[in-house]
Amino acid sequence: MARQTMQQAVVAGIAEEMRRDAGVFIMGLDIGQFGGPLNSCKGLWEEFGAARVIDTPISEGGIVGAGVGAALMGKRPIVDIMFLEYLGLVLQQLGCDGGAMHYYSDGKARVPLVVRAKFGVGPYHGHAYDYHAWVAHLPGIKVAMPSNARDAKGMVKAAIRDDNPVLFLEHMGLYHGTRDEIPEGDIVVPLGEAKLVRAGRDVTVVAIGAMVRRAQLAGEALAEEGVEIEILDLRCIVPLDKERILSSVAKTGRMVVVSEAMKFCGSGAEIAAMVAEEGFRFLKAPIGRVATPNVPIPFARNLEKMIIPDENAIAAGVRRAMATG
Amino acid sequence: MSNRNETWIALHRLMLATRELDRVIGAADGHWHPALGEEAVVAGCYHGLRQGDALVPHYRGMIAASYARGGDLARLLAGLEGKATSYTRGRYRSDVCGPIEFGIIGLYSGALGPTLEYAAGAALAAKLDARGGVALAVFGDGTASRGNFHEALNLAAVLCLPVVFVCQNNQFAISTSSAREHGGRIVDRAAGFGVPGQLVDGNDVVAVHDAVQGAIARARRGEGPALIDAFTYRVGGHMASDPGNYRSSEEVEKWKARDPIALHEARLLSEGVLDAAKIAELRAAVSAEVEAAMRKAQSDPMPGPEVLGLDRVFAGGV
Repeated sequence: MARQTMQQAVVAGIAEEMRRDAGVFIMGLDIGQFGGPLNSCKGLWEEFGAARVIDTPISEGGIVGAGVGAALMGKRPIVDIMFLEYLGLVLQQLGCDGGAMHYYSDGKARVPLVVRAKFGVGPYHGHAYDYHAWVAHLPGIKVAMPSNARDAKGMVKAAIRDDNPVLFLEHMGLYHGTRDEIPEGDIVVPLGEAKLVRAGRDVTVVAIGAMVRRAQLAGEALAEEGVEIEILDLRCIVPLDKERILSSVAKTGRMVVVSEAMKFCGSGAEIAAMVAEEGFRFLKAPIGRVATPNVPIPFARNLEKMIIPDENAIAAGVRRAMATG
Repeated sequence: MSNRNETWIALHRLMLATRELDRVIGAADGHWHPALGEEAVVAGCYHGLRQGDALVPHYRGMIAASYARGGDLARLLAGLEGKATSYTRGRYRSDVCGPIEFGIIGLYSGALGPTLEYAAGAALAAKLDARGGVALAVFGDGTASRGNFHEALNLAAVLCLPVVFVCQNNQFAISTSSAREHGGRIVDRAAGFGVPGQLVDGNDVVAVHDAVQGAIARARRGEGPALIDAFTYRVGGHMASDPGNYRSSEEVEKWKARDPIALHEARLLSEGVLDAAKIAELRAAVSAEVEAAMRKAQSDPMPGPEVLGLDRVFAGGV
């Protein structure tokens, strides 16, 4: 058992997969001797050398495209694009083409590509944008967002072994924060399985990434008021664990979806619509959404803090659900 | 027969097939993108690749490229309408995307440019395997305006990747002429990336083929990428239904006089490789093959709902 941060756990997961499979390699900007921004690749270059830990020019579209090409030829590339802020530069290669190749080739092409990107509000001022919904909309790409170090290791290993393109999102607010106990051995967390992080009878709170910890804090405050929330850590937006969401709502009859991403057309809207369509009979109250308003993330820390859901906003959303049914 | 003669005949055959494909498909489909006048670039590039090499063709010439790599012509033509017999059973179109099972990375969307990056990645895979494999990427002069062209060339140069980029320079991007598309010559951009650039007569199939094979051999030796500017002219419209009224008929006629098939036929005759009777025989055989394949494709059935595969969008299913 080792205690590791999310950054350490992700790097350890990648290193294990690189030892296990010679077809795995990683490329990106400043990931070699420099160790990657925020140490995202620290130690990989020293162990695996420049042939498999490839420093590239500032060329996000080019390297994600090269990742697609190498994946088509049987490799398992990981491409580190630094920040999700640059997703717009790689959408054609990753989303429009890469996600379609397996289907369009009638199942003959495979694109086992992992694109890593950091995002999220936190200690590293800037690059906060959570644009994951752009990709979740596109067929053929998985979207993973761990909330803790243990899951991060297990999910990055699953992403590398997956035969589909995976957008792997690393939240900077969680990156160097708390340490988790990481079990020894080959831990793999299958993509598409939500996790129950708190059981409760009253309201299902669906959260992901940094919102999971905030939902837990809200849960503690609400418990003192006699409201017991059930928290699901989605872990992946795609595939979406519909079964676990619906079975929880069947129990509680209420749902609040929490998202750091913008509300309008965000993935929280999809989850709400899915439950309205498939689980309407379970609902005792309108579905609530707690999300960032549709505004470019402001820079000043106090302004940033005002728009991103915190435990108070989540608790308020839960109270609304309790008050309306 | 010498290797040279065999190659020259194969090149001629592929040029004839390219032209016959234009004639037969163009009559059936006004949206077809003909390669009329550009057959020397198509044949010169796509003949002679090795098994295991990655081929990333331009859309104009994609069917000919797929055929050159071993694709069945009737199945390729069935892909024009998404017939059940096509290589993707109707899930995608064959005119812009060749079958991956022949090592072809086609266009999986209408966006031009990203395929050059896929070619760089395929070359990176070959380099990591150290198996002497290469990637050949062909693209239009219009595509050279995309950032993808610059990113792919730069990446290939700094990583010393075994990839050859060939510009099928037909001087038009739909209606936009080279003068309005490019500042300077495309071949001159090679120097900016520190890679060799070569301008070749894109109407001379032997010149194109020799240049491409030379660059491929260099890439196989580990000496890195190269850019070839195969300068030709789009005698046909952007699409079969395009009247091309944005350029003068004198200009078109001037280039028609340098027809790549006629030029190579003259060489085959003068060098004694084929006599007139054999050339006519070859033409007739290719024409019959293409027509028969088209008849077969047109009579093939459309796909049934089982092809939709809504649970097969992801590898492994979701």
